[in-house]
Amino acid sequence: MTAALEIKGLVKTFGDKTAVDHVDLTVPQGSFYGLVGQNGAGKTTTLSMAVGLLRPDSGAAWIFGSDVWSDPGKAKQLVGVLPDGLAMPERLTGREVLTYLGLLRGLSKEVVAERAEELLSVLELDSAEKTLVIEYSTGMRKKIALATALLHAPKLLVLDEPFEAVDPVSAATIKTILRGFVAGGGSIVLSSHVMALVEQLCDHVGVIDKGRVAAAGTLDEVRGTATLEDRFVELVGSGTTATKGLSWL
Amino acid sequence: MAVAVTMARMKLAILRHSLKGDKGAMMASGGTLGLVLAAGTIYLAFLEGDWLAAALAVWMLGWIIGPVFSGGGDETLRPEFFSLMGLPPWRLAAGLLVSAFVGVAPVIGLIALAGLVVAATSPVNALVAVPAMVLQLAVFVLLSKVAVALLGIALRSRAGAIGAGVLNGVVLAFLGQAWVFAVAFGQGAQIPEFVRYLPSGWGLLSVQGDYLALAAMVVLIALLLAAWAGLLTRRAGANRPSTRGRRPMRARNGREAVVAKELRTWSRDLVRNHQLTFALAYGVFFAGAPLVLGWTDMLPWAAPIFIIMAAAMTSNLYGTDGTSLWLALMTPGSSDVRGRQLAWLVTVGPVAVLVAVAFTLITGGPWAVILTATAALLGGGAGLVPLISVYALVPSTDPQKRGGNPLRTSEEDGALTGLAYLMMVLVALTGAPAIAVAALYGWWGVAAGLATGALCYWGLGLLADRRLAAQGPELLHLMRTGRRPESAKPSSFKLPDMPKSHRAIVVICWSLGAIPLIPQGVVAAVMVSNGQLRHSWFLATYMEPGLRWPVAIGFILVGLTMYGTGLWLPHRAKKKAAAG
Repeated sequence: MTAALEIKGLVKTFGDKTAVDHVDLTVPQGSFYGLVGQNGAGKTTTLSMAVGLLRPDSGAAWIFGSDVWSDPGKAKQLVGVLPDGLAMPERLTGREVLTYLGLLRGLSKEVVAERAEELLSVLELDSAEKTLVIEYSTGMRKKIALATALLHAPKLLVLDEPFEAVDPVSAATIKTILRGFVAGGGSIVLSSHVMALVEQLCDHVGVIDKGRVAAAGTLDEVRGTATLEDRFVELVGSGTTATKGLSWL
Repeated sequence: MAVAVTMARMKLAILRHSLKGDKGAMMASGGTLGLVLAAGTIYLAFLEGDWLAAALAVWMLGWIIGPVFSGGGDETLRPEFFSLMGLPPWRLAAGLLVSAFVGVAPVIGLIALAGLVVAATSPVNALVAVPAMVLQLAVFVLLSKVAVALLGIALRSRAGAIGAGVLNGVVLAFLGQAWVFAVAFGQGAQIPEFVRYLPSGWGLLSVQGDYLALAAMVVLIALLLAAWAGLLTRRAGANRPSTRGRRPMRARNGREAVVAKELRTWSRDLVRNHQLTFALAYGVFFAGAPLVLGWTDMLPWAAPIFIIMAAAMTSNLYGTDGTSLWLALMTPGSSDVRGRQLAWLVTVGPVAVLVAVAFTLITGGPWAVILTATAALLGGGAGLVPLISVYALVPSTDPQKRGGNPLRTSEEDGALTGLAYLMMVLVALTGAPAIAVAALYGWWGVAAGLATGALCYWGLGLLADRRLAAQGPELLHLMRTGRRPESAKPSSFKLPDMPKSHRAIVVICWSLGAIPLIPQGVVAAVMVSNGQLRHSWFLATYMEPGLRWPVAIGFILVGLTMYGTGLWLPHRAKKKAAAG
């Protein structure tokens, strides 16, 4: 079966620093894939290259067999993306953002209106009907970004830090939506540095460290008998940081 | 004082770091220009009459208006940096004021104010000049800070944004047409007396023996400091969330959706409100100013000037939206460029046409030329704005991450200014062929204007669309990081690799060199030699007999120097690159 997302040999260098160094990953269809790594390990760079937002120096990515860079029309139709920290059309309300993006995706006006209504109400953004996105809180921004990723009924979701700054109640809502998406046959890749969250949600894990894949596979293959957190620290940590205290406290 | 000293040292440290990079070169070139102006001011102090008072009034206007066009002025130390320190507002303001004296611009201002020593009427007054210089500089710096703070508050409400836009447009148009007023007031070669009594002239009054002016400056400084302290506390406050009713989006397809998004951004983003009002006020008052002399020929040109100015103000269209470009990248084939073009045309077009028709009705013509120019420039602007903004994108701070100063949309204010000038010249060029046809063949020009306008709209839009499709990820990366990716192919008309400040200087030299060289230089010289005096807007023809040729030749030299600089800097950079 074709992989939902296949990444082969991705490389990206910024100046002297190799941010992503020959990364290979395979996200099987129907899997919930967690990408974990420290800050600056190369998660965001890898995901940006995988969905066509950053041109790799070498390597390639396929979404359901369509090359992201040579056949972007097909590949981008199948994927919904939640990038970390990028701007939205800031002077629109949540509903307007969804209408705008749905029409841009080629959906009909009626379908867009129906889905926008449902998304806003499920994500509890409908109470902020008159608020422009620029005035949203960080958590609300994550939610509207998730709504834009889901709007066109993609088969693959690529989510960069979807739970950062989201309150627990909203997080629970988002988890339910994501689990439902996978149960319905969809595939998800999400990046995070919260191990407990990945352990709770995902069935596959990839560990990225200093731009390389340190481990990848099913959750059980990667963590073995330990917890994911212990395994992660073992894979990427220097081991001594935890014992350092602060001299004045 | 401890706070003030620490802040001054912070600023000094930041300046020392920035001296190394591009900003150092920018400071050096800006500083050189400032020194020339300061020397000119001191020279005026030796002349009889109120020349020094007039020059100081211009310096004051510069301090007040300058920040509006250079991204909100000196923001090396931002008030937000200190918001967690719990400083009382007046101590924060006093500290920021002291640190505001550290820098290139205040030093230059102080040198220019040395003219006060020259103008002193007695040895005692020469001593008085020393405190007078410092106090006068404090007045300038504080006026500048208060103006920026006021504008920042004004830009939080629509009425404020529009009011500030009108005011700035009027002031800049009047500065641009200063010769009109010089001629109108200067019938007897007199500077009007009120200029001496402006706050900019108080230092001069005190060195002429009027010591009360010294005290007045102290009082003014205290008042301005209090006002600034009050405004700083308002700046740190959060924006009100909007609760206005929203018109539902009626778009039915992708392109209409882009238009709808853009039109909403035009009407809701107060900085954009401000820019458009500014462009309109500038056009109207620039073209209207010669009415003071009873000369009406320029009035109908308000609409073309408005269009050019609007294009210049919007020249960083994609940059201002920041990283929201990712949405366009995820929806290939979504005709983002076409939608933005249409929205620009819908925003600028109706106002431009209305102004063109109304003002041409007032003057009774020339219909063909004005309608031609309006049509050609509208098409040219709608084509060039997206094209230039994807080819020469200046990375900006994402809208949701901007600080308390709404004028500061980018850290690269020099490049933004350069881009605006470049856009003015390019848009004017798109209008030139059709205007030439109209000047020669009358109404045929309108057909030509519609044709070139449509061609620019279609063709330049197509180029922008292709560029966006081919280089979209690179543009997004540039906006995300502020750095140009090394793997990107250099664009076809790219200048050689040189510091951004040099690039901005080259752009400015190329785009503005023609003004002193041709109309104010060559054309004016021809008129002077033909004895055509007091002719429309050629400054040399208004001069005293002995000054006519020097002024015209001086303008020619300025123009040639600008083109020379524009050629020399890239040449040197190319040679350096070849050697390295």
